[in-house]
Formats: sequence, C-alpha cells, structure tokens
Amino acid sequence: MDADPSRQVRVRFVTKLPPPLRAPPAAIAVPADLSRMGLSEIVNSLLAAAEPDHKARPFDFLVDGELVRLPLQQFLLAKGISAERVLELEYVKAVAPRKQEEPCPHDDWVSAVDGSNPSFILTGCYDGLARLWKDGAVCTQILEGHSDAITSTRFINKGVETEGNLHVVTGSKDRSLRLYKCDASVSMDYPKRVGAYKILRGHTSSVQSIAVDPSSDMLCSGSWDSTIKLWAIEGSEEDGDAVSLKKRRMNSDSSGPEESQLEGLATSTFLGHTQCVTAVTWPEQQTIYSASWDHSVRQWDVQTVKETWNMFCGKALNCLDCGGEGSSLIAAGGSDPILRVWDPRKPGTLAPVFQFSSHSSWITACKWHPSSWFHLVSSSFDGKVMLWDLRTAWPLASVDSHKDKVLCADWWKGNSVISGGADSKLCIAYGIEIV
Amino acid sequence: MGHSDGEHELEDDGLSADDSSWSDGGWSEDDDEESLSFEGSGSGSDSDEAAAAEESDSSEDEVAPRNTVGDVPLEWYKDEEHIGYDIDGRKIKKRDREGRIEAYLKNADDAKNWRKIYDEYNDEEVQITKEEAKIISRLLKGKTPHANVDPYPDYVDWFEYEDKGHPLSSAPEPKRRFVPSKWEQKKVVKLVRAIRNGWIKLDKPKEESNLYLLWGDETDTADNKRQGLSYIPAPKPNLPGHEESYNPSVEYIPTQEEIDSYQLMYEEDRPKFIPKRFESLRSVPAYEKALREGFDRCLDLYLCPRTRKKRINIDPESLKPKLPSKKDLRPYPKTCYLEFKGHTSPVTSISVETTGQWLASGSRDGTIRVWEVETGRCLKVWNVGGDVRHIAWNPSPDRPILAAIVGHDLLLINAEVGCEEVQMRAKELLKICEMAPQDDTDGKKPAVRWMKHEKFDGITLLHHKAVSNVDWHFKGDYFTTVVPSGDTRAVLLHQLTKKHSHHPFRKLPGLPVAATFHPSQKMFFVATKKFVRVYDLQKAQLVKKLESGLREISSISIHPGGDNVIVGSKDGKLCWFDTDLSTRPYKTLKIHSKDITNVTFHRKYPLFASSSEDCTAYVCHGMVYSDLNQNPLIVPLEILRGHSSSDGRGVLDCKFHPKQPWLFTAGADSVIRLYCD
Repeated sequence: MDADPSRQVRVRFVTKLPPPLRAPPAAIAVPADLSRMGLSEIVNSLLAAAEPDHKARPFDFLVDGELVRLPLQQFLLAKGISAERVLELEYVKAVAPRKQEEPCPHDDWVSAVDGSNPSFILTGCYDGLARLWKDGAVCTQILEGHSDAITSTRFINKGVETEGNLHVVTGSKDRSLRLYKCDASVSMDYPKRVGAYKILRGHTSSVQSIAVDPSSDMLCSGSWDSTIKLWAIEGSEEDGDAVSLKKRRMNSDSSGPEESQLEGLATSTFLGHTQCVTAVTWPEQQTIYSASWDHSVRQWDVQTVKETWNMFCGKALNCLDCGGEGSSLIAAGGSDPILRVWDPRKPGTLAPVFQFSSHSSWITACKWHPSSWFHLVSSSFDGKVMLWDLRTAWPLASVDSHKDKVLCADWWKGNSVISGGADSKLCIAYGIEIV
Repeated sequence: MGHSDGEHELEDDGLSADDSSWSDGGWSEDDDEESLSFEGSGSGSDSDEAAAAEESDSSEDEVAPRNTVGDVPLEWYKDEEHIGYDIDGRKIKKRDREGRIEAYLKNADDAKNWRKIYDEYNDEEVQITKEEAKIISRLLKGKTPHANVDPYPDYVDWFEYEDKGHPLSSAPEPKRRFVPSKWEQKKVVKLVRAIRNGWIKLDKPKEESNLYLLWGDETDTADNKRQGLSYIPAPKPNLPGHEESYNPSVEYIPTQEEIDSYQLMYEEDRPKFIPKRFESLRSVPAYEKALREGFDRCLDLYLCPRTRKKRINIDPESLKPKLPSKKDLRPYPKTCYLEFKGHTSPVTSISVETTGQWLASGSRDGTIRVWEVETGRCLKVWNVGGDVRHIAWNPSPDRPILAAIVGHDLLLINAEVGCEEVQMRAKELLKICEMAPQDDTDGKKPAVRWMKHEKFDGITLLHHKAVSNVDWHFKGDYFTTVVPSGDTRAVLLHQLTKKHSHHPFRKLPGLPVAATFHPSQKMFFVATKKFVRVYDLQKAQLVKKLESGLREISSISIHPGGDNVIVGSKDGKLCWFDTDLSTRPYKTLKIHSKDITNVTFHRKYPLFASSSEDCTAYVCHGMVYSDLNQNPLIVPLEILRGHSSSDGRGVLDCKFHPKQPWLFTAGADSVIRLYCD
C-alpha cells in the first residue's frame, strides 16, 4: 500500500444535488493518490462533458458519512475501507466563503452580532450602542440607551417583522436589558437613533448573554452575578407601568431621563451556577441550556425553574449552542482552543463526541447552522473565524479578515458568516453554499 | 578356677535331692567303670569342665559362697592367715594344710577319698556325689552328661511332599554345602599363579593429560585466584583478521580518499592499523611502532591503578522522590491565551478583583488601569502622574476601592465598577471631612495624614516616608502599609471606615519588607529581611518568629488555611514554612536564577506561583492536608515563559484569578499575560 502512482481505485460518483450537477452513475477508475481537488476536477469534467456550458466549481466528497480530507488512498487506508470494490463517493458543494464584503466599521469593539433576520444584521458594540445594518451594508438604526458596553443582542420573533417593526433586545454591562422597536422600512441617508421602549432591570452584575424563547414571549439572560433570569417580553402593560412608576418614584433623581420607558422585572430566577453565566440558549419551549465559568453546562426546565441536567467539563466556558441532529447536540467553547460537541443523550459519559482543535486561543462564539445538522461556525481570540463540519476533524474554511480578537460570530441568511471583533469591524463572508 | 568348683559343689546338694530316683539306677550299674576312669585324671581341670556345663543352667539359684572376697586372684591371700571374709565380715581362717603323707594315708584309709576335692576358694574339702561322678565320667567319654538323652532321635518327617509336586524339600542341608569346594580352590590357585607371574596387572596408574586451553579465559585459573590482589585481566586483543595479512585482498586496502579522510578525524577515532599489501613476506618491514607500543605497555603496567573501584549499582530513577504525575494535578495554568496591552512602561503590580471580573494594574508610566478579564479590554485609565509601585483591590466585593502606592504615598480611589448602590457606598467611604490635625504627643510630624484627592475623588494617605507595600484585611476595612525606612513607624495599620491610622509596633527589629494579614484570623505577618514575625493582633504580642535563612526576603504569601507561608527571596529561593511544624522552612525551592519579585497562593486550588526577574513564572502544586500527620505536598508543575526582559527586569508581579486556575503575570515589557489551564 505504498504510494504507487499506477494504483487505481474504482469509484462511482453519486450526489443529492439537483440534475444539472448530477454526474453519470457509471463506475470509473481514478488514480488512488488523487486528493479532493483531483476528484473535484474529474467531477467537473464529467459534468462539462454532459453539459458544455458547465462552470467548474469545487466539490467535497463523502465516503460513509465522512469527508475526504486526505489523498484517497491514505483516506481508505486510515478508515480501513477496501480499495478492491467500487467506492461510492458522494459529492456535495464545497463549503467555503466565496468573497469577503467590505467590513462595516464601528466606533468600538463589536461584541455581539445576530444574523437571524435575512435583511438586517444586528450588532452590539462596546460604546453602548446597538446598530442595525440593512443588507449588511448600511447602518440604518442606532439603538441607544445603554450606559456601558453591550454584550449581547437578539432579534425577537427571529427577526420577523411585526407591523413593520423589528423587535430587538440588548443586554449590557450596565446590568440591564433593553427592548427596542425599530421601523424596518426607514430609508434615510443617515442612521436613525432609536430609544428603548422597555428596560429590564434586576441583575446585579453585567448581563452576558440573552436567549429568546421559540415562541418569542419570553427572554432569558445570563449574568456575571451567576444567575439566569427569565423576563416576559410583552407582559401585561399595567404591570410594567406599575413597576416603572414605583421605580421612578423610588429613585426619581437617578433615572430622570428615562421617563417615557417602561420597566420590567424578572419573572423568575434560576439559581445554581456558582460563577458568571456566559451563555444561554433556548432551543425548545421548555428547556434552557446555560454555560458558565464554573465549568458546567446546565439544562433548566422553564416551568419548574429547576435544573434538570448538568455536566462539568473542566474548562471555563464562553459560548454554547444547541443544534445538530434533532437539535440535541451541544457545542461549547471556552478558555482553551478546543471546540467541543457533546451529546447529552449519551448516558454515563461526559466525553465530548467531537472535538475541533484548530484554533489557537480562547473560543468566544460558536453557532450551529440554522438548517444544516453538520455545520458550525466558531470564532476565537486568535482572530480567526472557522467553519466546521461534524464529518471531518479539519476546519472547512478559516476566515482571517479580522486583525484582532474576534468576539462574536453568527450565520446570516444561511449562506454567510458574520463576525465582529476587537478591531471594531463587522466582517461578512458570503457565498457559503450549504444545501 | 576354685570359684567355679565351689559353685558346682553347692549346687550339688539340691540336685541330688531332686533327681535321686533316676540317677541312682544309672550310677549303681557302672560304678566301677566310672571310678576307674576318674582315678586316672584326678586333677581339678576335669571337674572344672563339668562345672561349666552345669553353670549355664542354674547360675541364678546358686547359694552364695562362704567366702565373700569376690572374683579376685587368690594369690593375694597367699601369705595371709585367712582366705577371706564371711558374710558377717569375720575373717575365715585358713585350715592347716595336710601333709602329703597324710593325704596318702587318707586316700588309703577312706575308700571314698577319691571323690573328695579340695575347694581352694572356700578352703574346704568337698565330696562329690555318685551322680556327679557319673556325669563327669560321661563327659570325659564325650557322651551327653545325662544318660537318658538320645542324641540321635529318629527323624520324623512332618510334611508329606512326595506327590505334591513341591519343588522344595525339607531335607536337611547336604554336606557338600559345608565343605570347601575343590574346584574353587583350583581356580583361586590359578589366579594367584597368574598374579605372581605378572600375567594379570592390577591398579594401572592413571595417565595425566598435559593439554591445556591455550585461548581460555585466564580469570578463573587457580593461579590467579591464589594472588592476594584482586586480579584484573588484561583486555583481550581482537584476533587478527584478513586485513592484518601481509597480502590482504584488495577490498581491505583503503583508497587514498579514505586515508585522507582519516586525517580529518580525531586522533582517538582514527584507525590504528591501515592495511597494506606486500609482494612477499620478505618485503614486510620491521614493525615501526614496536618501540612505541612497548613503551606504552610499560606505562600501562606501571600506571595501571591496582585497586578495583567498588561501584554500587543503583538505578538513578529510584533515587527520585515519588511525585504524582502532572496529569493528576490539573488544572493549573500553562498556556498564555490573553495579553493585556496598553501600558507603556513596566507593569509593576497587578491585582484581581474578588469576583474575578476585573483586573487592576499599576505601571511606571504613571497610570492605573482596570481591565476586563474575559476580553482583555482596558476599561479605565487613571493618570496618577507618579510611579505606581503597588496596587491592591479591596477584597470585599461591595467595596470596589483600589489602594495604590503612587510615588511615596498611598492613594485610595473608587474603581467605578459594580452597580449604583455599590458605587454610592464606595463614594461615601471615600468622602473625607477635613479633620482636626492628629494630636501627636511627640510633637513630631505625624506618620500619616488623610487627605482628599481632588482629581479622582479619592483619598491620599500622606506618609512621612516612602511607602513600599499595601495589603488589605480580608474584610476590607483595615489595611496595612509598610514604610521600610520608617523606624518605629515602619508598619502602619489603617481603618477605612474611621479614616484612622496607627502604628502598632513601638519597636521593630530589622527592616520590614512586607506585611500582610492572616486570611481568616486576627493575626498579622511582618516580613523583615531575614525573618517573618507572626503577631496576634488582639493580644498584641509576638506569636512566632520564622527563620528563613535567606539573604533578603522580597515577598510573602499566606496559604488560605493560614498555617502555611511562602516567602520569596532576592536570591531566587522560595521557602515554604509550615508554621505548625517548625519555624524553619519545610522546603526551600531554588527555582529562579534571579530575584523573586512576588509569590502568591491560589485561594481555591492547591496552587502557588512565583515570578522572577529571570522572565519566568513558576507554578507549583502545594497541597496542604487537614491531617496534621501529613506534610504538605509540593510538586513543581510548570515554568511559564513569554515575557521578554526589559532593562534587566523580568516578571514583576503575579496573581492568581480568584476562582479559575489562571495566573496573571505583569512584565517589565509592559504587558500583562493571562495563563490558563
């Protein structure tokens, strides 16, 4: 099994791609030392033979649910697959960003992004302002009010416009959360300044992370005071009013300029973490997952306000996301350069099912692709944003557009990756074809 | 002989009484015949024979003899008047011996005189009965003593074997078995003749072999064992090979290039012998090195050490102390992931806030900065204008107050983190009304004056001399400052809430370097250049004095349990004191090549670290057991590098994160690094 150039492997190319990209299913013999690029060329030439105006494009190849990342021969040897019989190679479009958009400049570090709305990008910044970027190019709204750096921003309703308005929530180091309503249809040359319509107070230390529940009625937030608080988004207006009045009466001198704003209090508090709660996520109506610097990932039941499951991993965690098959895998990264994926359904083990270790510093954010079970994006203090596929241990692509630490990253529109960093830029990488 | 006679005689009486019936008849028949034969012999030897035959049967029943002298030679009494002693111990007198004539007359007179025998032992005459005489005469004839014994009874064959087919017979042994064999004798004679004539040779001498192992190992021959010195065998030369031949094959001859390459080698590595070809053995020259090698050999013999060195075979691995593996002691800081950049001059001191969210640093560039730990962002900068020498965050979480030594005074400022209420309280605490000047009885300049700092809304504590060190009490109200040149007012205690200062020590021997509070009790540690003194604050007395044995102490840290102290010195040594154990160091670690700038314990994990001017920081595992019998376990874990030297200085401070196993180090290269697990 040495590198004999005359060795050949019989392969058959199959795909789930639509017909113009479907190669003839006949088995052909290819040199065994071909790598991904050579195979891609063969598929492209096959497609060009069938259709003369085919444009060459890179493909990725799957053998038994694993991406080929080595020369074919080595890959087969490593996986112990016989090279004698016909090998079925499934090809998919290669996942890599095609082009980089001009980065959107901010005044300070970009600490939070949200790309759940297809037409707007929401960013939070260390200058205490949140910004809405129309189509990732023009800043249309500036959401002001926070007195300290914003740490987390979220669209409510997954960014679906209700009555022409975008609902946005932001969390900040000034210990409060603010709710904004923005007009989605503004078309002006300069960014419009928007104030919060509701302030949620209750945390005693900076808010680190926000998650919105799937039905968009509730919010939860994790904070440095090691609690998770649950907030009603709409609530009863009277309640909010009463509270705000009371509050206003109590410290009328300090909160003078916020008179037109409603104030809300937390509906419940989850106690259990012993250190800063750095990430919360709300994948299902009844469960919240949280990650903390006390090295634990915990699952909470919303109804009973009880912890239902926990896991200790030995590292302070910075980010957390649920996704994958049936939205049941947990990806988390923390104070080391390894992105880990756990399967909580696996009984009796705390060993991660996947580990991705190409970063060289702390991981600050990780996100599952909104529709794909396999794809993940992660950002790190080493200034890189990496795309991962569960089917291979190598990163699919690495985006190096940031000059400094990357603080946040997200998917946008299913085919782009947006990231914000300490170089005060929002970077957008387009053209990631995930079917 | 006489003795046996006597026995016989005494016995005789009993016998005659018993067997009178049968003996009478026999005796009377051949009376004359007997008497005749008896007469002929007449001496005691015959009767002796008879007595011996009787004796075997009846020695037990015999009557004790009259004489009691026992079995001694009778000549001993030859010249005595008595022949012995009777049973009562009286002498038995000898009778007068009858003369020969008298004896003859008696013989003639008495017909029965021939039956009389003289018993020498008892010295009396005994008369033999008829029966006895008869037995004697039968014995003399070689017949059985008793007349009615049949020596040849008819053989009665008890077994019938005639027709039984039995191979054995009970026939008596044939005579020939007891007679020497004539045939054997002939054969023996033949052998004897053959030996005499030398035809047969016996005991052939063994032949000794005169062969020996020429190439054998000489070590175990008897010769070498006999020597008193322990014999060291000479190393064996290799056997000559083909290349040593005078005409070796071509492949053994080195090419010119090879010979040239030998010149580049070291003298020792060069081959000793270079093969050469000669046409014939005649043309082989004399060995050129013969003289040289002979000389070397003599030198070897002369200079060879004649003692054998005893080496103990110890595996060096076994001498290492058994330490747990580093893997089991995780987590501990090892990799730098985050750098805090912003200062423009060496960072002299850092301090982490109790919750671990913020980090404060002071630098030579005259600024105090507060950093966000999780991102490395600089949140606030105070330009205080002077050298910041030391900085300490108030350990109470609701008092975000920084104590910094700026220039030669102490500055208390509000760090402006935390929620509004906390901010308010901090502001309240730092408010100072103009107090009346402290009444100083000495009339001297007061040690400390509390002054309002206008620029930062803080308090300045003006000291009379330069301050070097500040440390907070764990409750966050008291703090201490050290004024090294302050003589009696070198260590000062301050109370934040009352804005009051006092100097607890009237007299302090040595130059104080650092002072710190016990992490949980009312104890106070003062480190001078060579000693650490432990005071009880409540009783105001010295509790312990720890002798470090170091040249100059530079820093001190107390284990969160309070019983263990580590001390760093300016000669790069780190001492661990177990105050319960001894006042001497439990362990001294010589780990740094230059001054140790700071030592610190982790508050939660069993870790301690030291930073040094040699640009490294050491992380060690320091486990303290609650069991008093178990000594603390110290394992060096990691050397943290990464800082570059600037102006000859390296790492100036190190502090642990209060909750994570992370270490912050402040370098002279104006960077703060965070090392994570």
